[in-house]
Amino acid sequence: MRVNFGLNGAPVTVDAEPYTSLVDMLRDELDAKSVKKGCEQGECGACTVLLDGSPVASCLVLAPQVEGRYVTTLEGLEKNSLMIDLREAFMENGAVQCGFCTPGMLISAYALLRDNPHPTEREVKRGIEGNICRCTGFTKILEAILDAAERIAPE
Amino acid sequence: MKPLPKFKYHAPSTVEEALYLLATLDEAEPVAGGTDLVPLMRDAACSPSNLVDLNNVAELNYVREDSGYICIGATATHAQVASSPIAAKAPALVDAVSGIGSPQVRNRATIAGNLCNASPAADSAPPLLVHEAEVAIRSLKGTRIIPLEELFAGPKLNTLEPDELVTEVRLPAPPEGAGSSFKRIGRRKAFTLSVVSAAAYVELSGGEITEARLAFGSVAETPIRTRAVEELLRGKALTGGLLDKAAESVKAEVSPITDVRGTAEYRRDMCGVLLRRALAEAAERAR
Amino acid sequence: MEYDKILEMLGRKEFLVVGKNVTRSDALDKVLGKARYTADYVPRGTTLLKVYRSSIPHGIIKRIELDEALRVPGVEGIYTGADVTGSNQIGYALPDQPFLNDVKVHYAGDPVALICARDEYALEAASEKIHVEYEELPPVLDVDASLAEDAPLVHDGGNVAVTTRIRKGDAEKGFREADVEVSDTYWSPYQEHMYLETEAAYAVPERDKVTVICNGQSPFLIREKVAHIMGWDLNQVRIIQALTGGGFGGKDDQGPLVAAYAAFAAHKLGRPVAHVWSRDESVKFSNKRFPARIRYRSGANSEGRVTSIEVDITLECGAYANRSPFWLWRQTAHAAGPYEVHNCSIDGRAVYTTKVYGGSFRGFGDMALHFAAESQMDKLSYKLGMDPIDFRLRNVLVEGGRTTCDQVLDHSVGIKECLEAVRDASDWASHREPVRDGSKVRGYGVGLAYHGISTSRSTPDWSAASLIMNPDGSVTYRTGIVEIGQGSPFGHAKIVAEIIGVDPAAIRIELPDTDSTLDAKPTHGSRGLMLGGTAAAKAALKLRESMVACAAELLEVPSGRIDLAEGRAFDRENPGTGISVRELAEEMYVRGYDPAVHGFFKAPERFFDPETGLGVNYSVYTFAATVAEVEVDTETGEAAVLRVWPAMDCGKAIDPLMVEGQIEGAVSQGMGLVLMENIELKAGHVINPGFKDYVVPSSMDTPQIEPVIIVEKPYRYGAFGAKGVGEPAIISVVPTITNAIHHATGIRFNELPIRPWTIHKALKEAGN
Repeated sequence: MRVNFGLNGAPVTVDAEPYTSLVDMLRDELDAKSVKKGCEQGECGACTVLLDGSPVASCLVLAPQVEGRYVTTLEGLEKNSLMIDLREAFMENGAVQCGFCTPGMLISAYALLRDNPHPTEREVKRGIEGNICRCTGFTKILEAILDAAERIAPE
Repeated sequence: MKPLPKFKYHAPSTVEEALYLLATLDEAEPVAGGTDLVPLMRDAACSPSNLVDLNNVAELNYVREDSGYICIGATATHAQVASSPIAAKAPALVDAVSGIGSPQVRNRATIAGNLCNASPAADSAPPLLVHEAEVAIRSLKGTRIIPLEELFAGPKLNTLEPDELVTEVRLPAPPEGAGSSFKRIGRRKAFTLSVVSAAAYVELSGGEITEARLAFGSVAETPIRTRAVEELLRGKALTGGLLDKAAESVKAEVSPITDVRGTAEYRRDMCGVLLRRALAEAAERAR
Repeated sequence: MEYDKILEMLGRKEFLVVGKNVTRSDALDKVLGKARYTADYVPRGTTLLKVYRSSIPHGIIKRIELDEALRVPGVEGIYTGADVTGSNQIGYALPDQPFLNDVKVHYAGDPVALICARDEYALEAASEKIHVEYEELPPVLDVDASLAEDAPLVHDGGNVAVTTRIRKGDAEKGFREADVEVSDTYWSPYQEHMYLETEAAYAVPERDKVTVICNGQSPFLIREKVAHIMGWDLNQVRIIQALTGGGFGGKDDQGPLVAAYAAFAAHKLGRPVAHVWSRDESVKFSNKRFPARIRYRSGANSEGRVTSIEVDITLECGAYANRSPFWLWRQTAHAAGPYEVHNCSIDGRAVYTTKVYGGSFRGFGDMALHFAAESQMDKLSYKLGMDPIDFRLRNVLVEGGRTTCDQVLDHSVGIKECLEAVRDASDWASHREPVRDGSKVRGYGVGLAYHGISTSRSTPDWSAASLIMNPDGSVTYRTGIVEIGQGSPFGHAKIVAEIIGVDPAAIRIELPDTDSTLDAKPTHGSRGLMLGGTAAAKAALKLRESMVACAAELLEVPSGRIDLAEGRAFDRENPGTGISVRELAEEMYVRGYDPAVHGFFKAPERFFDPETGLGVNYSVYTFAATVAEVEVDTETGEAAVLRVWPAMDCGKAIDPLMVEGQIEGAVSQGMGLVLMENIELKAGHVINPGFKDYVVPSSMDTPQIEPVIIVEKPYRYGAFGAKGVGEPAIISVVPTITNAIHHATGIRFNELPIRPWTIHKALKEAGN
């Protein structure tokens, strides 16, 4: 079936079977390879994307469920100023090791800081509680997100 | 990786249409967030021929107050309920749904779905049980309203007919002097299934408990109320001695099992601990 | 050559980049989502491969029926052991592991056939249609059952795969000299790596060659195993290591298998094949941390000196020996912990069962060993009425001290400094009483660790690296050490940058490719930076020689006066006289100075006696000490690690930020093993194959990690003195937490994991 939706700011149309998951549609049909498959059970967060602005596990969303909606992946936030702050903070704080959780982690961190630009450490922890990182033990990721929050230009 | 079983997909835009599809299609399952259903399908534990997606049914997406009830539409997500000032009147529910899964889950998963999945570990169930929630069930034949408890038939089994759809979960807006609380124990601090969960609801008048309701998750085949203990509490002053007695008595009213998430003995003992903590907090909130 | 003295050799007093935090060069692609992992290389429409596995834990294969499965639409080929042209044997240490089982199956999940099909649906359908007739044999589900007299044999030749033994001094005499004695039995279970990226390989065949993009930990071992299965020469197999989403040892063991399945099937089929594991497959069928039961008796005298230890180790291999000879030996060789103990009697055996096999995992035997050894040290200190840290300080290894294997440590021994540092940083002395707050009680614990770096028993060990100075002054670096998150290749680039005086960002690190990269041996044993970095240093020193000679000729000054820094070659005595590396590089080509070099580093070999188990065992050891504050809810049994003070002697921190990252990650992974992680089996089948029920720490479980204390006791044969970090970081975490739980609750837990219901039950039984 045909699925029409907005991907990273542009309209796209994909011919997909209804039992295709969003993560597969994004990776296989639209080359959004930043979206990673870590478990396909909604338990690891590696496939996190924004659906109408909210973080969701794209392995649990069916392709036709995004009809008429907006999907954002890391590719679509390349020039976003908040994401640029986050990226730099991740790099400088040593928050990146193997990098496989990183795209999903950045999406969650982005949604958190977009809605709450000056979170407490606990709020940051809660914001990324759905993203498992097995390399860093989270410490440097938490530091990076708090650092990014400080970089956000005051309004 | 593992493929999803093949199915036909339907996206009705009205409840009537959804009900018609459920009544006429073979092996049809309604789906909203899909956070329970999709993993089950991937594990081949559930292979419906037809999926009826409720996300486009605008009339099912609400949290509102109506005739003294807090009404939660079938597609209201945990995130919606967690941030709703109306739902805030039932603090146990807000506590529970704020901690279910992760932001990614809460943005998709619905209260109605959590309940229909009928897991004994469903965290939304104990708070709704103590708030005496009811479930509105519709089919082409009409609407019936049942107490939430009657939705659960056993582990992962609900009492719905194949053509029926839960359209709303509603609970009486608590009166002044009421308080509720939800407590859970998991294997880690977030994004994990409960090993045991407990909710308490009390109404206080003076120092006296005029109403008490308790419910537990993961300690029986379904989420359960513990009515004998509730009876023990009613009409009494909330003293340490009474709490001790209640915490001890509750262990006789639950029937947990041992599995990968915990032992029966532990769960039984934790009912007592969580009962104390939930009751204390509920009473605090009632004051 | 003393590699820790390179800076002096360069005639420089200050480091340019070594020892400083520099943003790693792979980070940008990773934060942009442009880093490519194995599955990202697979084109749409590629044939998919799935391993068909045994459904029973133990049985003889009577017949394999494929006809029906071959008729499933979309199926392109199904292969069994009968199709293997080379060797059907892929065992690591012992020839006990068939590539495709055609005689017998040894665990529920043993590979029997390879199915190739156009999509996952056809793969699933074909799996249902393969029929294997077994003569079932009784399963062997634990070490006691395996060691029982009439136990069913998992492999011909007996259920004990290998044994180890050390006799040093006179253990019995040592116990006679002891004033106190402690004996206990410790159990350390399976642990699953749970790297975020599952195992994967993508193979592209040619007539007599195959190229595999995959995510192992040793491209050269993978090449060897693939060639072995195919019956080919090494140059017929090309392994390209993609960026890898975590390894922790697991991909060292699984890499060769996954690549060999894909390569073999692609060759048979004559077209590319992709093999990407689901999470379910990864948890059920990949090797786990080997479980181990350690019986440990130790004695100490009233002066607080350990006089003797007697240790008995039973390692559970599972279905195959895999790395167990090395794992068991490591436990045996480290048995005393980082202490000088003159009398040691140690025995070990690795035992087969019909369960998923164990294998490499960060810490490689030393986690279970130190859990036992450091629990014993704690218990001895309590029995002696001594402070646990004071007691340890009386026994720790110092320069000139002797290890369990009687290896004299002549340099690079910093455990005492580590321990004193965490003692002071945590204000240990003021936390000797547990603190109660309502139902919660907080306690402090300490744990030490040492870990021999790279291979044991002085077996030959080497590494290699190559560098090309391109005509525009940019640098291409190749190493066979793989990037699995730890960042070793970037560490090499910093070492190179330091030596040839360029910005690390000017050095491009190519993916390991066995057609163009020299054999650096595996990325395991915490050797990636230490061995790989020393090879990089050797290459860089050679390149520097060319650069300096060329610059001397150009600038007309003696070569002894040339220095290289900040992308320039210049006259030290007249820094204004210089030339940019860009110009220099072009001149090197024009004037015939070799712009391409390789460095081959062979670790020094020394004496080791395999009979007694004594001698120079590992070339060097990394040391670590940690203190942790743990809070236990005495009503619910929930334990939480609140704060951790880590210290490590890593020789030289090439990049302190990355050292911290390794330590923080290790705290989380070690905490996972202690408090929550557990593989659950039912009749030999793994029943919790996912993140839902194999619970690993989340962000919410993250403790406050206090500033990492880095102690630098340089290693003579490591570039700039660096020693390995990744594995030593996790080892001390386990006993630190268990000792803190004891301090808080007064209860000793000798079995891992320690979950809320275990603590609750123990507290209840203790009358809490």
